[in-house]
Amino acid sequence: MTGDGDVMPAGDGAGLRIGIDVGGTFTDLVAIDDAGATHVFKTSSTPSDPAEGVLAAIDQAAAALAGSRGALLRRCHSLIHGTTVATNILLERKGARVGLLATAGFRDSLAIRRGLRANPWDHRSPNPEVLVPRFLRLGVGGRIDAAGRQVEALDEEAVIAAAQAFARHDVQAVAVCLFNSFLAPQHEERAAELLAKHWGGSWLSLSHQVAPLIGEYERSSTTVINAYVGPHTVRYLERLDRVLNRDGLARPMLLMQSNGGAVSVRQVAQAPYKLLLSGPAAAVGALRHLSRSMDSPNLISMEIGGTSCDVLLMSDGQVALTDQVEISDYHLTMPSVDIHTIGAGGGTIAGIDRAGMLFVGPQGAGAVPGPAAYGRGGTEPTVTDAHLVLGRLKSGAYGGGAVTLDPSLAGAAFAERLTGPLGLELDAAATGVIRILDQNLLHAVQRISIERGEDPSRFVLVAAGGAGPMHGARIGRLLGCRSVLVPRLSGAFCAFGMLHSDVRHDFVRTYLAQLGQLDIGVLADAFGTLEEQGRSLLAGEGFAGAAVRIRRELSLRYIGQQWDIAVDVTAFDPAGEPDRTRADFEARHLRLFGHIQPDGPVEVTSLRVVATGILPDAVQRQPAPSGGPPVPAEHRDCYLGEGGWQQVRVYAGAALEPGHRLDGPLIVEEQTTTIVVGPADILEVDRFGNYLIHLPDGRTDHA
Amino acid sequence: MLDPVRLALLQKRLDHIARQMGWVMIRTSRSPIFNQSHDFSCFLAAGNGQVISQADGIPIHTGGGGFAVRAVLQAFAGRIDPGDAFLLSDPYAAGGNHLPDWVIARPVFAGAELYAFACIRAHQSDIGGGAAGTYNAAATEIWHEGIRLPVLKLVERDRLRDDLWQLLMLNSRTPHLLDGDVRAMLGGTQVGAEQVLKIAEDTGVEESRDYLQGILDHADRRLRAEVALLPDGRYCASEGFEDDCFEPMDIPIEVAVTIAGDSLTVDFTGTAPQMRGFKNSSYANTYSAVCTAIASFFDEGLPRNEGTFRSVRIEAPRGTVVNAEPPAPCTFCTSNPAQQIIQVCWKALGQAAPQRANAGWGNKLFPVTSGRNRDGRTFVLYHWGANSGGGAVAGRDGFDQIGPIETLGGLTIPNAEVYEQLYPIRVVKQEFRCDGGGPGAHRGGTGVHYVAEIAVEAEYAFRAEGIRRAKENGVNGGQGGTKGAIQVAPQGREAFEPPTYAVMRLPALRLEIMAPAGGGWGNPFERDPQAVAADVRDGLVSVAAANSAYGVVVTAAGEVDAAATGLRRLAAQSAPPS
Repeated sequence: MTGDGDVMPAGDGAGLRIGIDVGGTFTDLVAIDDAGATHVFKTSSTPSDPAEGVLAAIDQAAAALAGSRGALLRRCHSLIHGTTVATNILLERKGARVGLLATAGFRDSLAIRRGLRANPWDHRSPNPEVLVPRFLRLGVGGRIDAAGRQVEALDEEAVIAAAQAFARHDVQAVAVCLFNSFLAPQHEERAAELLAKHWGGSWLSLSHQVAPLIGEYERSSTTVINAYVGPHTVRYLERLDRVLNRDGLARPMLLMQSNGGAVSVRQVAQAPYKLLLSGPAAAVGALRHLSRSMDSPNLISMEIGGTSCDVLLMSDGQVALTDQVEISDYHLTMPSVDIHTIGAGGGTIAGIDRAGMLFVGPQGAGAVPGPAAYGRGGTEPTVTDAHLVLGRLKSGAYGGGAVTLDPSLAGAAFAERLTGPLGLELDAAATGVIRILDQNLLHAVQRISIERGEDPSRFVLVAAGGAGPMHGARIGRLLGCRSVLVPRLSGAFCAFGMLHSDVRHDFVRTYLAQLGQLDIGVLADAFGTLEEQGRSLLAGEGFAGAAVRIRRELSLRYIGQQWDIAVDVTAFDPAGEPDRTRADFEARHLRLFGHIQPDGPVEVTSLRVVATGILPDAVQRQPAPSGGPPVPAEHRDCYLGEGGWQQVRVYAGAALEPGHRLDGPLIVEEQTTTIVVGPADILEVDRFGNYLIHLPDGRTDHA
Repeated sequence: MLDPVRLALLQKRLDHIARQMGWVMIRTSRSPIFNQSHDFSCFLAAGNGQVISQADGIPIHTGGGGFAVRAVLQAFAGRIDPGDAFLLSDPYAAGGNHLPDWVIARPVFAGAELYAFACIRAHQSDIGGGAAGTYNAAATEIWHEGIRLPVLKLVERDRLRDDLWQLLMLNSRTPHLLDGDVRAMLGGTQVGAEQVLKIAEDTGVEESRDYLQGILDHADRRLRAEVALLPDGRYCASEGFEDDCFEPMDIPIEVAVTIAGDSLTVDFTGTAPQMRGFKNSSYANTYSAVCTAIASFFDEGLPRNEGTFRSVRIEAPRGTVVNAEPPAPCTFCTSNPAQQIIQVCWKALGQAAPQRANAGWGNKLFPVTSGRNRDGRTFVLYHWGANSGGGAVAGRDGFDQIGPIETLGGLTIPNAEVYEQLYPIRVVKQEFRCDGGGPGAHRGGTGVHYVAEIAVEAEYAFRAEGIRRAKENGVNGGQGGTKGAIQVAPQGREAFEPPTYAVMRLPALRLEIMAPAGGGWGNPFERDPQAVAADVRDGLVSVAAANSAYGVVVTAAGEVDAAATGLRRLAAQSAPPS
């Protein structure tokens, strides 16, 4: 099955692996060569045509590393791209005109959306626009019952009539979601044949293929979103892939999926909704790499940018996944890295409510006007302003002059909005703002850990993003962690993650049965079918032998529970060994929930097969220490909480090398981030050049 | 002088603890009422019983938790010890709101001192009584409604009282669910108690008390600041019932809301005496319904603690529908009259601030079906798929189908596919109605047409309040939504409309419901003609209704006939439709 489409590198000489993460403001490119040298490039994103930004980043890297785009791409044996194209289409409502074919009586499931609203108290806000207007949601007769049997034949005349209506209304993509199709797909399959014949279009999204899971709302929503983002996303990706191949890239470009694994354009073309969390999911690769480099299987990452913070948890080497995802108030069921996002970042605004209570967030000042210190018209104090007036951020130009921080503007915003009304000194008010933001971050980390029965103090906290390393050490103490890791490439965390990702396909299928009454043959067949799909996809991408890993999971719960727990059954047959399956389930249940129900019957809800194609991991070169203690670039007055104002050593990141170990307080200024090391903390540069902050005397007890 | 930073930190921390308790509940409970419908609330109270946070919870529990905690303090004064946990439910004897909502209250001791309580109030799947599923529409006394729980010490110094436990399990038709659910409540309050104790340890008992007081004071100032913006005055409104669950009669619920400066008085004088059926409200529930109305009227960001409502005085005469006395049945109160209480308060407040006025929501009319599942266990099936349409507000149409008003729509509607796996049911239809929604500049939610076939003989608790033509639920010139209808067609028998309130045993049948619709906001003749045409195109409004109710003439091609519409609307200005 190997051929031109291979994703697997041939293993030639001075090759390059490239990760490109397109964000809202910046496009990050990280390249690592076979010798382990790592290079980072940051360029402005071009929202009107993201491909332009990608090519600009490539050209910038080419100029530095290879001379020309062609020379760079010819050296590149894998290029992984995290794209926000699909996400932006959804957020900006610029998708295709979609028609939905539903079972008669259920065409409104999509609009009813099970009544879900993020905050019921906020009843004045409308629901987001339904992606398919009602006149393009057409019901057809035919019924599959709860056991998967046909009780009423598909009304083919109605399907044909619907196809003709879709043609009349210039529908660009059709989603098909028929009732109970997760149990038996024949009606959807037949409807697809009829649509192909009578509609005239070709972009079909079939629910039994896209999301073969129980629940007509989530399944139709997913199928519709796939159709909505599909045509534009695929067109963009294919075009970019063609350009890259034409200009010298020998292998297909790979894309980051929401599940944290990569996939080729060809294979994601029928299911582009899998790219909706493409960017942030790449953090998985970064965690896996850091986990290996630190020899620690338990990490929590906190990536903080200007407006939001993404929190991710890796326990025993596994990053938690979820199948229920919400993006901008739309719901999908898709295997996805379980990212918890909160509105907390450098641009988060502080203020006082009408009754005198200080608040920080969740609103942010965005890139425009941005923090008051930017001098772009912002008048509200932000977290960045707080850091600036406390001396933790230096004043002046950043990012080659992209922004300039003016502490007098920050101070004025504080004086007008906070210090006067609250009767606080500037230092106390700014420190207070940072402490409240820290509490928001703490709660976000606690949520993702405690909710799963994990004790966050057993974890190493990874503080990343532009703003994360300013808060990491303190959050680490609040959590009771012993150390906090700041990756050297903190400012390009996700692009860095793409260098350490594998190709991955998740297959999930609803499968309803009681544990203990599983039919060995049926279960084996069901797993076998999914596994075969996975192996065949991977083979198509050039993976074979030891480069292919298959994992089988069973989702279980006590009857009546709403949530299930995945149990790894790769090593044994759960139908033949129900007791072992139950024991594994209950061990996990006990850990998550603190109790088990010894007499409670357990049911299976779904099967999952994870097929992974292992890409050779890029090994970062371990820079040789040049010896000698580092010299601070300057001493700066900083206000560090209880220590008050003091002269703090400020180091340039480039001056710090593996083996260096320094007592806090100190500040490190990297190209894209600033690291704050508290008075009792110890900073160590590990053998990979990453920063490890030790927190020797334990925790700070209250937030 | 309190440090504003520490105050802000403590408030967030308390809310975080309440939410944490909710996560535990959702993930550990067993009945769908908890983990799908989120019919519970988690709250923290100070040692004196004042609720200091209820960040996690359904709106109709707002502010009611204090009644439960104060009942514990009263019943066990001097006998509350570390390691205890209390259980209660009775609305007359134990600070409950209605019998199915059980409260676990777990005291938190800082040293020897009773510092706080961590509590969860949650709706149980079955508590015995005259009908499965906790709603006995035939009840005429509270004893018909299930087991009454005074304040019980369920856990005594860390030891679960097994005798009490057996008593509870024996009094439920679904002990397999009750067992897991009450354990989830115990686990959730344990998590909350541990976290609250850390506050006392971090901040010191005395000092943290000052801060807790500061948090309640801030909440008080928050609502006062909102109320002060409204013109002083006395605003009256009425709602009511047209039957007492047994026979037709007029049962008014009257309110006079008085705004004086920054405080509110909500006076129900004039409301009907308590009725024979179970649509009476306990005082705790009336208090919660008023708080829900107020919080949802003003600002969704109001703090969730008892301080918020300090400036609100409620007059609910004893022996009336809104403050019943024993032994009046009152299990339906969290639904009806909660809906009437919320809406009557909205109507009164809406006169003071028309721009914020909320149109009324369609009432409920779906039954609860219970019987034996294929595996022989009792099942209790709420036909949530037949939920009603919501009312419109300035800026948006009503939600066409949404959870009940007392949850502000927070109750999640289940997937029919999931129901078909859980219960012997086939859902045939759940689709929006045409011409249901109350016409308005913003249209009321349409409601749905719901059809389901139940394959086994089963018991039906009918509580079809929504087939009544409730008082108009449009506001500011908007019209009321269309009322609902219900019909059952048992196998081999004529279809019939069941009694509005009744418990009946029926063979396999087909159930058909037209769910009531929500009210409109503002003059329908001012609705954007394009929005009307879109509704016509989408089959939510007929061509005829577009013309008669909205004054919009839609052509055969689905376009707005601008000239004809202009004339039609102009003509209507001199003679508006009745």
